[in-house]
Amino acid sequence: MSDLWDRVEPLLREVERPARYIDGEWGAAHRPEPAYVAALVYPDTYEIGMANQGLAILYERLNALSGVAAERAYLPWKDMAAAMRRAGVPLFTLESCRPLTACDLVGITLPYELTYTNVLEALDLAGIPLRAAERTVADPIVVGGGPCVWDPEPMAPFFDAILIGEGEEAVAEIVDAHRAAKEAGASRAEVLEALAAVPGVYVPSLYASADDGSPLEARPPAPAVVVKRAVRDLDAMPVVTCPVVPFMDVVHDRLTVEVLRGCTRGCRFCQAGMVYRPVRERTPDAIVGAVTDGLACTGYEEVSLTSLSTTDHSRLEEVLRRLTRRLEGTATSISLPSLRVDAFSVRMARLVSAAKKSGLTFAPEAGTQRLRDVINKNVTEDDLLETVEAAFREGWRRVKLYFMIGLPTETDEDVRAIGALVGRVVETAREAAGTDRGAVKVAVSVSTFVPKAQTPFQWEAQITREEVARRQALLRGSVPRKGVDLSWHDAEQSYLEGVLARGGREVADAVEAAWRGGGAFSAWTEEFDFGVWERALAACGVDGTSIANRERIVGEPLPWAHLSAGVAEAYLHAERERAYAGETTSDCAAGPCTGCAVCGDLGVDVVTAGERRG
Amino acid sequence: MASGEFRLRVRYRKDGRLRWLSHLETCRALERAVRRSRLPYAVTRGFSPHMKLAFGPALPVGTAGSAELLDLLLVSYVPAAEAVVRLRAASAEGLAIEETRYVEAGLPSLAASLTIAVYDVRVEGVVADRMKQALDRVRRDGRLTIEHKGKHKVYDLARSLPKEPRVEGIEDGVAIEVAVRMGPEGSLRPEALVEAALASTDADGAVMSVSRTDLLEEAEGAWRRP
Repeated sequence: MSDLWDRVEPLLREVERPARYIDGEWGAAHRPEPAYVAALVYPDTYEIGMANQGLAILYERLNALSGVAAERAYLPWKDMAAAMRRAGVPLFTLESCRPLTACDLVGITLPYELTYTNVLEALDLAGIPLRAAERTVADPIVVGGGPCVWDPEPMAPFFDAILIGEGEEAVAEIVDAHRAAKEAGASRAEVLEALAAVPGVYVPSLYASADDGSPLEARPPAPAVVVKRAVRDLDAMPVVTCPVVPFMDVVHDRLTVEVLRGCTRGCRFCQAGMVYRPVRERTPDAIVGAVTDGLACTGYEEVSLTSLSTTDHSRLEEVLRRLTRRLEGTATSISLPSLRVDAFSVRMARLVSAAKKSGLTFAPEAGTQRLRDVINKNVTEDDLLETVEAAFREGWRRVKLYFMIGLPTETDEDVRAIGALVGRVVETAREAAGTDRGAVKVAVSVSTFVPKAQTPFQWEAQITREEVARRQALLRGSVPRKGVDLSWHDAEQSYLEGVLARGGREVADAVEAAWRGGGAFSAWTEEFDFGVWERALAACGVDGTSIANRERIVGEPLPWAHLSAGVAEAYLHAERERAYAGETTSDCAAGPCTGCAVCGDLGVDVVTAGERRG
Repeated sequence: MASGEFRLRVRYRKDGRLRWLSHLETCRALERAVRRSRLPYAVTRGFSPHMKLAFGPALPVGTAGSAELLDLLLVSYVPAAEAVVRLRAASAEGLAIEETRYVEAGLPSLAASLTIAVYDVRVEGVVADRMKQALDRVRRDGRLTIEHKGKHKVYDLARSLPKEPRVEGIEDGVAIEVAVRMGPEGSLRPEALVEAALASTDADGAVMSVSRTDLLEEAEGAWRRP
């Protein structure tokens, strides 16, 4: 094994923020002479990637395996990447500073569609052939996973295997299968077949379409449909209480304790809500224990209780009361990342921030009750105004509201209604703030709805860029100026997100062309260059609008049909019909089963630590 | 500082790969080490309470330090020998805790009392005599203009460089001991001094490493550790 440090260190003089590249953090795992090395790669810079909980979990699980070392690698910033290329230094892991090519497995998470070009940048910097078909048995296997696997086709040719769903159990099975195949002297093709036998593992090269446009078909022994992995009991999966503690100021620089997984409130636009079912809560004892152990091990001054919807935890109040008692006098704070629109949430926020009022965030998503019913966002205007009133009465002076434009069935009236609703929020906030009314700030963040695979809206057309501009202008004219900070998601980035989120394998060529054209760091607003992507799509003959902006006919083969999040397609379709009828669907974690089929087929079930509030 | 608090002075090293940390990164890492050590640290009152911790002067990114200092306030007494063991066990390699001792609560802050920084600068590709000549020449000029990030700064060397640098030949080059007087107007960076000296006499040589070996206070004409 070669340690590249002596060649890396001289480069640090010329680059920004050398702390990205030095390793040596508290909690970093150094396994001497491992038989098997897995590099875990986040396709963006260190300060973004260090926040990723999925990789932190896999890092701990893999390092717990005998003979296995898991090491981290991040995409260097442009200055360092240039310096490395000049010096002929390949992408390396932080812990042992070994080239990625000297690892057995390279695991890359897919956090967001616009990081796809960064995946290619990482592979290229590492000197690993970009396409799985070009790799030999001497190359590491490149395994994907994470939030974008529900339609991974635009990235499929670059991966040897992709894990669909939750990784904490599957990752050891993947390593075992790979090690066994290697020890048996297997060929690359045999290795891939061995991986395909692991439940939840998708090996793209074993799926092909007979001719252009026809659906992908599995080549046995690969399964016809790869069904996602989901863990049964979250409490049986220990929280990572000794994660790597960065030196550098990274995003979400705090201890993270996942208090529950999954959300079945059933928002029809929400991919996470559909694909991470069912709800599984940790018990209060497990949460309090994990926070206590985690703070002791890391020395963090803040802990975040994370999930898709933390205030839904059935015993959150008890958890927070126990924690605030325990942490008194230690200058340690607790944060809740996502709040439901209700007074209970404000009370919970008040519990954890006795004095610190940084601002609360709520997501009404749409401006009218009609449209909120369409998307199944079970929040009323009264809920919102009561919540805002409670927050400002309690002393908060800032709220942030998330809305979307371009939701199915949206009319101009719905768009203008966002402005009117914001106006009523401001009014309510000022009234509740009393003499301090001048300090009231309402931040409004408006994104464009991007239909995602494996959701009830997977067949929908995304609104065109021109239509985004028109509706943004409409909204701008209707939102009050005073006390309001209005921000938008970039229309061109949303469009590309849509192309990459529902594209087929033919889009892969365009991703590669975009990377070759200088399209790395496309997720960074200041680095994003739409021209690079337009040229790449055109050069590869890909019509992005027919992917993003076209309504799919129900029954037409979808590029992700061979992958399943466990939710029956019939359920997705029924939910879409209910959306059009303006009918809402209740939350199965607080009421009866709604028939999505996840529980029956996957051997999992709803797990709550107590009775949920409806 | 509130009464009943104990002022623990901690000497630590910053070296190896961790010399690439910025001052802010170093401060945060040490604060987290204190939390991990479970020492009874004091916290400020007010809206956003934080640990009562005060650091000595910042080290530039890339420069190692072997006698760095911080003051930590504790709400109860822990024997210094125990505190050092607990801090050491909680510190990352490269931020090693060397020594702890209690100091008088009423002493001025480290930032105010530390005025002399001693550096060890290693230069490759130059012999001792040549290096000495170059440094002498700069010192004779009395003033040194340094360009840093596009700005020019003039140093009065009689003030900034209170002692003649000591040059010693080593394998492949020289080791220079430079004492710099720090002040509110900024401190002369020793590698800038050495590079300016080399440039002024057209001497070859490249600075290979810089480390700060001591931080001292001045009292009645003498220098001493605080």
